[in-house]
Amino acid sequence: MPTMVADNISSGYGKNLIIRNISLEVDAKKVTTIVGPNGAGKSTFAKTVVGLLKAQTGSIVVNGDDLTKVPAYKIPGRGLAYVPQVQNVFVSMTVQENLEIGGFVTKGNTHDRMEEILATFKDLEKARHKRAGFLSGGQQNMLAIARALMVNPSVIVLDEPTAGLSPAYTNVVWEEIGRIAESGTAVLVVEQNVERAIVHSDYVHVFVAGQNHVHGTKEEIAQLDLASIFLGRSEATKS
Amino acid sequence: MHLFWIDFGTGLATAAVVALAATGLTLQFGITNYINFAYGDFMGLGALLTFALNNQAFHLNFWIAAPIAAILVGVFAVIANQLLLAPFARRFSNPALTMIVTFGLSLFMANVATVIWTGNTLFFRMPISVDKKVGPFLWSPDVMIVMGFAVLVMVMIHLLLKTTRLGKMMRALSDNTSLALTSGIDVRQITNVTWFMSGLLAGLGGIALAVEEANLTVTSAESYLFVIFAAVILGGIGSVYGAMLGALAIGLLTETAPLYINAGYKLDVGFFIVIVLLLFRPQGLVPRLGRS
Repeated sequence: MPTMVADNISSGYGKNLIIRNISLEVDAKKVTTIVGPNGAGKSTFAKTVVGLLKAQTGSIVVNGDDLTKVPAYKIPGRGLAYVPQVQNVFVSMTVQENLEIGGFVTKGNTHDRMEEILATFKDLEKARHKRAGFLSGGQQNMLAIARALMVNPSVIVLDEPTAGLSPAYTNVVWEEIGRIAESGTAVLVVEQNVERAIVHSDYVHVFVAGQNHVHGTKEEIAQLDLASIFLGRSEATKS
Repeated sequence: MHLFWIDFGTGLATAAVVALAATGLTLQFGITNYINFAYGDFMGLGALLTFALNNQAFHLNFWIAAPIAAILVGVFAVIANQLLLAPFARRFSNPALTMIVTFGLSLFMANVATVIWTGNTLFFRMPISVDKKVGPFLWSPDVMIVMGFAVLVMVMIHLLLKTTRLGKMMRALSDNTSLALTSGIDVRQITNVTWFMSGLLAGLGGIALAVEEANLTVTSAESYLFVIFAAVILGGIGSVYGAMLGALAIGLLTETAPLYINAGYKLDVGFFIVIVLLLFRPQGLVPRLGRS
């Protein structure tokens, strides 16, 4: 049974629908990636899943728990964590405080969980008393991921986690995403770089013009001529 | 007794009043991103409600009436936000438009206050407090209580923001509302708490001002608003520690200025120095890292 099931989701801003009738599933221990051209609705979908935008149709279910009408602030506590693309850390707060904020939704003591996470993210351990605004872009993204992991989520949604990072740090982030999936979490990534997404994912969805145009395993998607699909031509395979 | 130290002592007393109010204003700005022009009226309401409880309706002891009045202002601030300001803030993406609504609220509150309490000078029903020599300073016992209380409040705010779950949530919300929401913070609840604290501090600031000046009118706190603004801007808008530091600077600058120029220009000198300081440090003394 998939950890997260998004069924027939339509959403947008006001009366303007950006995404229409999108369905996808995310499995535990797998990295599922959404790719697509700018304006395809990838980030809109991610924001809808985590409650920042209201789904106008459809449902979002995590571990059998319907989250469609749950307020955004209650969603992390229900097992779905989110890492935005930009402004994804509390810049005026220290690394440790950022992690504490991430753990506030859990009732018990978060100290052990924080130490566990800091033991994994060595860069953050060294900077635990530094304010997040003074970290590098890569470190900030790692902190954002670490903060989301504080609730020990069933599903983590990462919106372009490598945007603007150096190639070296991009690899570090993708390795970490792989480790998160291996630990049992279902990972949903929104990614601009198609080649990289195919290399690191188990399953890929291609969004075009607000619709889930085509999806499949990374091997299946690798066979397609994505440039043509991005331009609106259907199901083109590489010649 | 050296005149400089007497004025310096008065400056510390003024700083205590300004710090109480400026901290409340900057807490509220931190989460709403617009200046509340009705804040001076919130301060005035604190003093006027204290007057009402102490001298008009229940004849409560001043030290009992004052905290009750401050709490009532806190509740009023939450209601004003829920019923008036928040709906406008949700409707307008430009915070300047909501700021204009606060200006309207200020006019409304000032006029209602004038109808109820008239334009006369009012006095709290409390023993007359005579200035005493304390080291090089000259303070009345009431003013010393106000100063001690202001220091205690500042320490409590520091502890709240740095060590408690609520305080960290308030800081997170002030830093990045959307991220706070998706991190599991109940933004509406923390916003209400922040408005309550802002109103409470405004009320305390207004009461402290009336104690320091030994009287009050319906407009005395309102006309003090720009002093509060100056402290907040000097400290760095949205920075709580900046507001405390800005209050100290403004208090000392304005009260020691009469040593060198006509006392009528003391606020002008204070503000001139603020302008000069901001030319070199436009982000304020303790800038807040970017808000999202």
